[in-house]
Amino acid sequence: MTGSVDLADFLPAYLAEAEELLGAAQRHLLAVEASVRRGLAHPRAVRELFRALHTIKGLSAMVDVESIVSIAHWMETSLRHSDRAGGRLPESSVEPLMEGLREIEQRVRQLAAGKPVTPVPAGLLERLEALEAAALGTDPAKPAPVALELDATVSARLSAAEREQLTVGAAGKRAVRLDFIPGAERASSGITINSVRERVAKLAEAVKVLPLSGPAAGGGSLTFVLLLLTDATDDALLEAAGGPPASVRALTAAPAVPAAPIVTTEPELEAVVARVEEEPEEQRRGGGTLRVEVSRLDEALERLAALVVNRSRLTRAVAALTAAGAPTRELTAILQENGRQLRDMRAAIIRLRMVKVADVLERLPLLVRGLRRSTGKAVRLELEVGDAELDKAVADRLLPALVHLVRNAVDHALELPEERRAAGKPEEGLVRLACHGGASGLLELSVTDDGRGVDAEAVARRAGVPVPATSDGLLDVLCRPGFSTRDAATSTSGRGMGMDIVRRITVDQLGGELRLETRPGQGTTFRLRVPLTITLLDALIFECAGLRYAVAVGSVEELIDVDAARLTRPAGASGVVLVERRGSAVPLLSLERLLERGSPDGQRGGTGAKALIVRQRGEPVAFAVDRLLGQQEIVLRPLEDPLVRVPGVAGATDLGDGQPTLVLDLAALGAARSGNGRRERAT
Amino acid sequence: MSVLHVVFKVDGAEYALPASDVLQMETFTGATPVPGAPSHVAGLVQVRGRVIPVVDARVRFGLPPVQRSLDTRVVVGQLGNRTVGLLVDSAREVLKLDPAQVKPPPPLVVEGARGFVKAVAQVGPRLVMLIDFPRVIGEEAPDGDGQR
Repeated sequence: MTGSVDLADFLPAYLAEAEELLGAAQRHLLAVEASVRRGLAHPRAVRELFRALHTIKGLSAMVDVESIVSIAHWMETSLRHSDRAGGRLPESSVEPLMEGLREIEQRVRQLAAGKPVTPVPAGLLERLEALEAAALGTDPAKPAPVALELDATVSARLSAAEREQLTVGAAGKRAVRLDFIPGAERASSGITINSVRERVAKLAEAVKVLPLSGPAAGGGSLTFVLLLLTDATDDALLEAAGGPPASVRALTAAPAVPAAPIVTTEPELEAVVARVEEEPEEQRRGGGTLRVEVSRLDEALERLAALVVNRSRLTRAVAALTAAGAPTRELTAILQENGRQLRDMRAAIIRLRMVKVADVLERLPLLVRGLRRSTGKAVRLELEVGDAELDKAVADRLLPALVHLVRNAVDHALELPEERRAAGKPEEGLVRLACHGGASGLLELSVTDDGRGVDAEAVARRAGVPVPATSDGLLDVLCRPGFSTRDAATSTSGRGMGMDIVRRITVDQLGGELRLETRPGQGTTFRLRVPLTITLLDALIFECAGLRYAVAVGSVEELIDVDAARLTRPAGASGVVLVERRGSAVPLLSLERLLERGSPDGQRGGTGAKALIVRQRGEPVAFAVDRLLGQQEIVLRPLEDPLVRVPGVAGATDLGDGQPTLVLDLAALGAARSGNGRRERAT
Repeated sequence: MSVLHVVFKVDGAEYALPASDVLQMETFTGATPVPGAPSHVAGLVQVRGRVIPVVDARVRFGLPPVQRSLDTRVVVGQLGNRTVGLLVDSAREVLKLDPAQVKPPPPLVVEGARGFVKAVAQVGPRLVMLIDFPRVIGEEAPDGDGQR
């Protein structure tokens, strides 16, 4: 139907905003919970939570997701009472409110994934409604039965919550029905359901927007019925809808006269509602921030990359001119200036992509709260992240590693309260995540716990290896694929995945470092060091089996010439070739074969003319390539799709020919393809 | 209500995808192979500035390879957040299919098609097979910690 097309236009903005509001709501609810547990009131957080829910409700009504509207409505209602009680909330209320947020979040995700939105789960609304009763100490207040003047078609599509909203109304607001009939002529003058929605939103709170098909006034065949709560006059609303054939009708005989005491006793909250209505607009004008889709930033970066490619061609052309004796002094000066400008431009674009680490970690408190409940351990999470920033591409990759470390800390490292007491520690365990910008484009993060520490002997026994002498050695054992110190996989960690993922993300994917410090009985610290950005990097471009590839300059230790006459093939080493490098033998791997580019005629992978030396688990390994083509700055585009997310391939880049060129991670490629590595490809 | 479908050919047979799942169709100028990717992945192509994987329909359907021609197309499909191309012999038609035309596939087709065909539509004398796009491109779930 036409309606769905219009909604699709509206959706991206809705999703972005809903996500942000949900994040805020979770934060405030956690704050409320913290106060509740200390027996305190937290009027500000209750109010902020209320505002977030109120806005979510309004936005959701505009995109017509009834289940979210209902949940938000009842949550809001219970908070209204809590606010009236001075921001006090019974402890039993927190869990249903959490559940409500989770359910809203789930539905927002469904919308984002283009899936149908599931209805409100059975019993949730009743539980939320009961909160209201609990807060009031009475039965749920039934709204005064004011008849809504609605035809059956519309009436049938209203939920109880929406009906209640319209009947009771917000203080002093009238419930009205605005009918908007779209048409080609109106669309051509810019009046569509979207523009009407936007304009109406400034005047009224949309309780519901219903598209109705069937003959409409003015010869149309589709009518959008907007059910609103408003202070504005009929004329103003009509004007917002572009005038007749739109029409406005009151839904209740008189301006809704809600139970008068409610209005008079909660002027403050109504003021909050009023602010909620005004604020988004204010923020948009005054706040000075802009939400931009990442794809647009990527596009800008892509354009910059094209410029960089072009500049290197220009540089070569000028060099050729110079060599031919042409007067190029001024040209060279301009070229240098151009280079500086490009670097500045690059820095500016990278800055655009930076997100606050604090925002990235927004969900961790919620995670820890869940762990507290599932493990029965008392845990306090401290975040000391200041205002450090990271490239969004790095942040998105890093988050799962941090989630893993925090989860492991609570699950494995921290002891149960009794155990801690017996050890003379405070019952409440501490997990601290701190970060600070390090030197030269690196960010350092640490995840620290005050738990039992890693038992090196137990780890060694379990892995069937000698007890590691150093903490690096211990970390190596912990990071073995599938290693787990627990026999039973717990619901939170386990399933045989663990530290290897953390290491893979930190070291292999991000090119960073991972260290471990642990002291028995006192706790463990994991230190991570990751680059601030992986989006732009200096790369070596080379050719192998007819295709071009790129590899990060930083990962290559040395470039050597391969002299076929000086290779050794130790007997019995099943085809391993050694190349001599400054007096020591280094295994030489055929990149051609690793890349599955070997010719099918049975010929063994070539040993190339050049080799790149890379450290793989600390040991130098040479990768044979055919030809080196040069060094240039590239834009790394990670491969997100599971079909092509394979070990050894860091991403793709465009070298200027419009074809993707693979950016390789040689160490990971070698490890994945050698015998002891896992071949983690999806089947 | 009839639904618009994009029709494409693989080895002489006609297949269809709902037009709403198709972002665009591109000519094929070669894909960058990705080592270690499933064998039905032809490689990567760049489509309007995005790098996407391309699944070779012939390999996926177990058909013999064929020389690519000017008719070869990449049907760029959208699957949730994923954008994946499907490499087909040709794609030049858009059809409106009435739900009444669409029937469950005959048992013989079900067996032969490894679940890739979820329905067939009779269009005049022609039989058009509606494919199960998620299954064709492979339902691999993203890895990670499995908790998100």
